[in-house]
Amino acid sequence: MSDYAIALTNVSKSYRLWGRGSQFATLKSALLKRDLALTPETSVEAVRDVSFAVDRGEAFGIIGRNGSGKSTLLKLISGILKPSSGSVRVNGRVAALIELGAGFHPEITGRENIYINGIMLGLSRREIEARFDQIVAFSGIPEFIDQPVKTYSSGMYVRLGFAVAVHVDPDVLLIDEVLSVGDEEFSAKCVAKIQEMKYRGVTLVFVTHQLDQVRNLCDRALWIDHGEPETIGDPVRVVDAYLQAVSSTQTAPARAAADELKTPATAIAPRDDAGEEERWGSGEVVLSRVILVDSRGDELVALGPGTPVSIEMDVTVRVPQDDFVFGVGIYHADGTCVYGTNTDLEGLMPEHLETNGRVRFVMPALDLVAGTYRIDAAVHTRNGRAFDYRRGVIRFVAGSRVHDIGVYRPKHHWKFEGGIAFHEIDLEQRNVPVEVAEAMREARKPRGKV
Amino acid sequence: MDSLRTLYRYRQLIATLTARDLKARYRGSILGFFWSLANPLLLLAVYTIVFTFFFPSALIHPYPLFLFAGILPWTFFSAAVLESTSSISSNAGLIKKVMFPAEALPLVTVASHLVHFVLAMPVLLLATLGFALHGDITISITILLVPVLMILQTLFVAGIAMTVSSASVLFRDLRDILTNLMQLGFFVTPILYLVDRVQSRPLRALLRLNPMTPFVVSYQDVLFFGHLPGLADTLLMIAYASFSVAMGVTVFGRLRDTLAEAI
Repeated sequence: MSDYAIALTNVSKSYRLWGRGSQFATLKSALLKRDLALTPETSVEAVRDVSFAVDRGEAFGIIGRNGSGKSTLLKLISGILKPSSGSVRVNGRVAALIELGAGFHPEITGRENIYINGIMLGLSRREIEARFDQIVAFSGIPEFIDQPVKTYSSGMYVRLGFAVAVHVDPDVLLIDEVLSVGDEEFSAKCVAKIQEMKYRGVTLVFVTHQLDQVRNLCDRALWIDHGEPETIGDPVRVVDAYLQAVSSTQTAPARAAADELKTPATAIAPRDDAGEEERWGSGEVVLSRVILVDSRGDELVALGPGTPVSIEMDVTVRVPQDDFVFGVGIYHADGTCVYGTNTDLEGLMPEHLETNGRVRFVMPALDLVAGTYRIDAAVHTRNGRAFDYRRGVIRFVAGSRVHDIGVYRPKHHWKFEGGIAFHEIDLEQRNVPVEVAEAMREARKPRGKV
Repeated sequence: MDSLRTLYRYRQLIATLTARDLKARYRGSILGFFWSLANPLLLLAVYTIVFTFFFPSALIHPYPLFLFAGILPWTFFSAAVLESTSSISSNAGLIKKVMFPAEALPLVTVASHLVHFVLAMPVLLLATLGFALHGDITISITILLVPVLMILQTLFVAGIAMTVSSASVLFRDLRDILTNLMQLGFFVTPILYLVDRVQSRPLRALLRLNPMTPFVVSYQDVLFFGHLPGLADTLLMIAYASFSVAMGVTVFGRLRDTLAEAI
C-alpha cells in the first residue's frame, strides 16, 4: 500500500457550455440541422493544473472565494466528476459529505432511509444492521425514526444524514461546507466526531468558509483562487495569506513589507514538524526576537519541571497600530496544541502600539512531560490578519525524571491510607533489564540538565 | 464491461432502491399495487367492449384474454422506457452530490415495472383459468415458458432504458418524442389483432420491423394459443435483447462521465 490517500497530478476540469448559451440541445434541432455533434461551443475552466497529495490520516483544508473551484475539486476527488486532464488517485473507501441526506426519500421512514443511504455510501445490509443503533443514537432523533422523512424538520434531516455518513467508516472523508448546519449542540457533536475520526487515522478533506475550522482541524490547507492553487501548506499561514488577499485594506508599504517576510509557496509544504520556523504576515509590526527566558532573564533551551519561565518578544513597530493582539501557543512536536492564548481572549483591549517595545508572557511554572516542544508567537489584528506570525520560532526540550505520559502534568502527589505501603527507589535504578536502563540513560543525556 | 461489473457490485443497491420505489409509490394508497394494474385493466375493458360489441371479431376467442396477453408485456415495455427517460434527471441530487452508480437508476425503473408485470401475472392466470373452466380455452404447459420470455424482454427493455435515460439528459425532448412513438407503437404491435390478418403489405413489413412484435407474439403463443414460440421469433428476441444490452452499455458508458455536469 502506498502512503498517500489522495494524489492529484496536473488536474484540470473544464465545464462545457453547450450551444447558444443553452445547456441542452434538443434531439429535434440536432436532427433538423443534421448536426449531432456533441462538441461544446465554449468551456469554462473551473480547476486548472492542480497537483497535490494528501497523506494517510492527514486533515486537509481547501479554502477560497466562491466559485474558485473548491467544490469542483472535492467532486473530482470523490469521483463524482471526472477530470478533463490529469489524474486523480484515491486509496481506500471514500465517503463524501457533499450534501447531507442527498438520496433520502421523503415518503419512506427514517429507518428505511438509513438502509438505503448506507447502501448508497457503500455499506452492505449486514454492516448497516451492525451500526444501526449507533447511527440512531448519534442522530439524536430515535423517536422519529419510524416516521416518513417528509415529516422531519430540516435540522432532523441533516442530523440523520450526518449520522449515516460518519458511520460508513471511510478511509477518506470529504466534507463540503456541512459542518455549519444543525444547531450548536449538533455542530459541536459533528466536530467532535470528525476529530475522533481524524484520531483514528481517517484522511479528511474539508471545503469550508469557516476559517477557524481549517485552523483548528487541519494539518495542511490549500488556498485555491480562480481554479489555480495559490498557496499550500501550514493551515494558519494559508488562512492568513487568504485573509490578507481578501481584505482590501492592505496599504502599499505594508505589501512591500509582506513581500519581504513571505516564504515562498512551495508545491508540497512540510506537513508538520520539519524543524524550520515558518513566518508570514504583513510586516507592519514585527516580532524581531522571540526567546524563552528563565526568572533571571537568561535564555533557555531546555527546562525541567517546575521551572519559572517566560516567553519574551521584542516588538518592532513600522506602522503604528490601534488594533493589535499578541498571542502565544505551545505545541508538542507531534503537533498537539498544549496551550494557546492571546491578549484578546484574556480581555486586554488594545489602546496603542506606537514605538518598539517588549512583551513578556510569564509562567510561574511550566509543567510539561518530557518531550520536544515548539512555540508559536504572533502579533495580529483582532480579526486574525497577521502582522507577524512566527510558527515554531522557539524549539525546546522539556526533561523529566518521571516517564509519565501526555502533555500536561497537573500538580499532584500520591497519598495512601490503611494497609497500603510503598517504598521509594531511585528512578534510574528501577527494575528493568540492564541494557534497557542504559539505553534510557543514553537517550536522556543530550537533553541536558534535569 | 465496466458497467456490468459495477452493476453486480451494486445489486443490493438496485434491489433496495426498487423496494423504495415500490414502497413510496404505494404508501398511503389503499389499493396498493392494484393501481399499477388499473391502466392495463382499463385498456382491456375498453378494447374488449369496442371489439366485442362495436366491431365483433369472431376470429379470436376469447378476445379479452388474447388482449390481456399482449397488453401486459407492452405496458411493461412502454412504461419502463418512458419512465426511464426521467430516471436520471429526477435524481439529479444523487448524481451530483453522492458517488452514485448512475446505471442503477434506469435499471431501478425497469425493475420496479418488472415487479408490476410479475404481480399482474396471477390476474392473467386467474382469467385464463376462468375461461378454461368455462370451456373456452385449454390451459397449456407452455405457460411455463413465460419466465423465459420475461428474462429476454427484461434484457431488451433494460438496454433501451439505459440508452434513453442517458441520452435524454442531453436531449430533453427525447421524452416527448418517445411518448408519441409509444402511442404509435401500440398500434403497430400486434396486440389488438393478429399479424396474419393484416392485409396491407407495407403495414405487415412495418410490423415485422417493430422489435416488440416477436415478444408480444411469443407471449400470445405461450399464454393464449398454447404452442411454442416460432423459431424466427425466438431468434429475433435473442438478437434484439443482445443488441439492446450492447447498445445500452455502450451509450451509457460514453455518456456517464458527462452526466453529473450536463444534468
